[in-house]
Amino acid sequence: MTSAVWNKLSGFAPFRAFSSAIGIVAGGFLILLLLVAFFAPWITPFDVAAQNLANANAAPGWPHIMGTDEFGRDVFSRVLYGARTSLSVSATAIAISVSVGMLLGAAAGYFGGLFERAVMTVVDLTWSFPDILIALIFVAIIGPGLTSTTFAIAIAYLAQFTRLTRAQIVRLKSETFVEATINLGATPAHVVLRHLLPNALAPVIVVGMLAVGDGIVLEATLGFFGLGAQPPTPSWGAMMSSGTAQLFISPWVIIYPGVAVAATVIAVNLFGDELVRALDIRDRVRS
Amino acid sequence: MTTLLDVRHLSKKFVSGGGPFRPVRSMHAVNDVSFSVDTGRVVGVVGESGCGKSTLARLVLRLIEPSSGDVQFEDLDLLAQKPKPMRALRARMQMVFQDPYSAIDPRYTIRNAVTEPFQVQGVRQTASEADDKTAELLSMVGLSEQLAGSYPHQLSGGQKQRVGIARALALNPALLVLDEPTASLDVSVQAQIISLLEKLRDELNLTYIFISHDLSLVKYFCDEILVMYLGRVVEALPSTDAAARHPYTRTLLDSTFDPDPKLRRTIEPLGGEVPSPFDLPPGCAFAARCPVATEKCRTELPVLRADDGHPVACHHPL
Repeated sequence: MTSAVWNKLSGFAPFRAFSSAIGIVAGGFLILLLLVAFFAPWITPFDVAAQNLANANAAPGWPHIMGTDEFGRDVFSRVLYGARTSLSVSATAIAISVSVGMLLGAAAGYFGGLFERAVMTVVDLTWSFPDILIALIFVAIIGPGLTSTTFAIAIAYLAQFTRLTRAQIVRLKSETFVEATINLGATPAHVVLRHLLPNALAPVIVVGMLAVGDGIVLEATLGFFGLGAQPPTPSWGAMMSSGTAQLFISPWVIIYPGVAVAATVIAVNLFGDELVRALDIRDRVRS
Repeated sequence: MTTLLDVRHLSKKFVSGGGPFRPVRSMHAVNDVSFSVDTGRVVGVVGESGCGKSTLARLVLRLIEPSSGDVQFEDLDLLAQKPKPMRALRARMQMVFQDPYSAIDPRYTIRNAVTEPFQVQGVRQTASEADDKTAELLSMVGLSEQLAGSYPHQLSGGQKQRVGIARALALNPALLVLDEPTASLDVSVQAQIISLLEKLRDELNLTYIFISHDLSLVKYFCDEILVMYLGRVVEALPSTDAAARHPYTRTLLDSTFDPDPKLRRTIEPLGGEVPSPFDLPPGCAFAARCPVATEKCRTELPVLRADDGHPVACHHPL
């Protein structure tokens, strides 16, 4: 890469997360994973749903490099396809969570008073339960499936983003530039959209990115309980769940999806830490 | 001379506490303040920290809603304005803030910061008009237009304060409230900002309310001076060389230093304590520290009386 291009890219703060070895490895892995998730239907060597009972529980080898499961389906193809399920569910859920959370948090922080009390009471109530319990209750109410998993994860993490955004807004609201802008004749909408939210965005985005890792674990957990993706859609959690029965006959069925979850979550967290460093917002992320 | 701003019996009470375990406590940050400002004048407001100077500035601009009182600005009842006309009216009355370091959004370039007033007021500008306006405003406050693309953290404190002044002047205001505009700057930079403000006042026919705790600066810069103590105006000096009539003003004036060693003198320190603003005495708030206070001062509140164009709130004026 020529130095001119590098200089231009490194001027864009988030890109500086790639300036360390950890950042390159973790970020590179995530980019690869995104590509795999996006192109999964075209790059899987076998049909993810094609059963071949004659070749069930085959050990890793050729052509099934990660072996086959109890129905003779190719584990490698299903792990690749599972990335699509896990990432899309988790990323969609966190995107909903971040959008709604920022809106609620910004409104609560800006307007204060009774509205803030009401919002924060409800939000804190959801936060006082473990994530998995909220997700379970939600899925139990509207039934299993990918849509309900997505909403369950979104609700489980809503409190985090609402609280974070509110804390940022409350801190920013007392800055002189806000008063100065109001004094110019600005509407509340201008103040919130042009000053408060842009300044509150960086930590929320980074925490959101880290939460995608947690979302993948939660999705896998729900899948493990059979509440997430329904067969034959491959999901890392559901694959591990079905693998438990054959744990001692064919451990590869449970090991490879487990490794995929672990590697993804580790990469998300390492890259998130690099991003926090690159944006220089360490003190604002934990609040 | 026309009256630009007329403030009558303005008060602001802050209430804290309330609830099952904390009693309600109230504090009069600004208490029954009346004054008026004529077009083209520079009115200084002095007093020690916590006397309500900055609250008064924000009440006059309606950045805080007063608890009671009236503010007439350009013959309009400011407190009766609905939100929309109020926002339009804000263009006529601007403020320069004490802390230039946080007065500009760190994500805004200088160009964005000085053109934001037009955006906020719904003035449409093409990119080249905005460039021209930026250059004009920056040169007006003595900054190079090459700074237009810079971010606030790349500027010095003095430069940032100049940007703050440019922003305040963008909408051609009639009144500029200066809330300790030089308090967080180096002394050499303070002088530059003050001379810039003097130049702008002459060029643009501005009216200033200058808030400061630096009495020598106020005496140099202002035409008339309001002296505040614990939320009340205790004396309104009609000119800077008027003799102090309130014992508090006298003490304040005595506390300024003259740079001439031949004028050395001993300063009589004030005894007593400033009463808590949450629990003001029934009489004169200054009585506990006043050298000439009598029993009357402790029980009866002195009102601001203007017998001869020099109002003072004291039972025993000097």
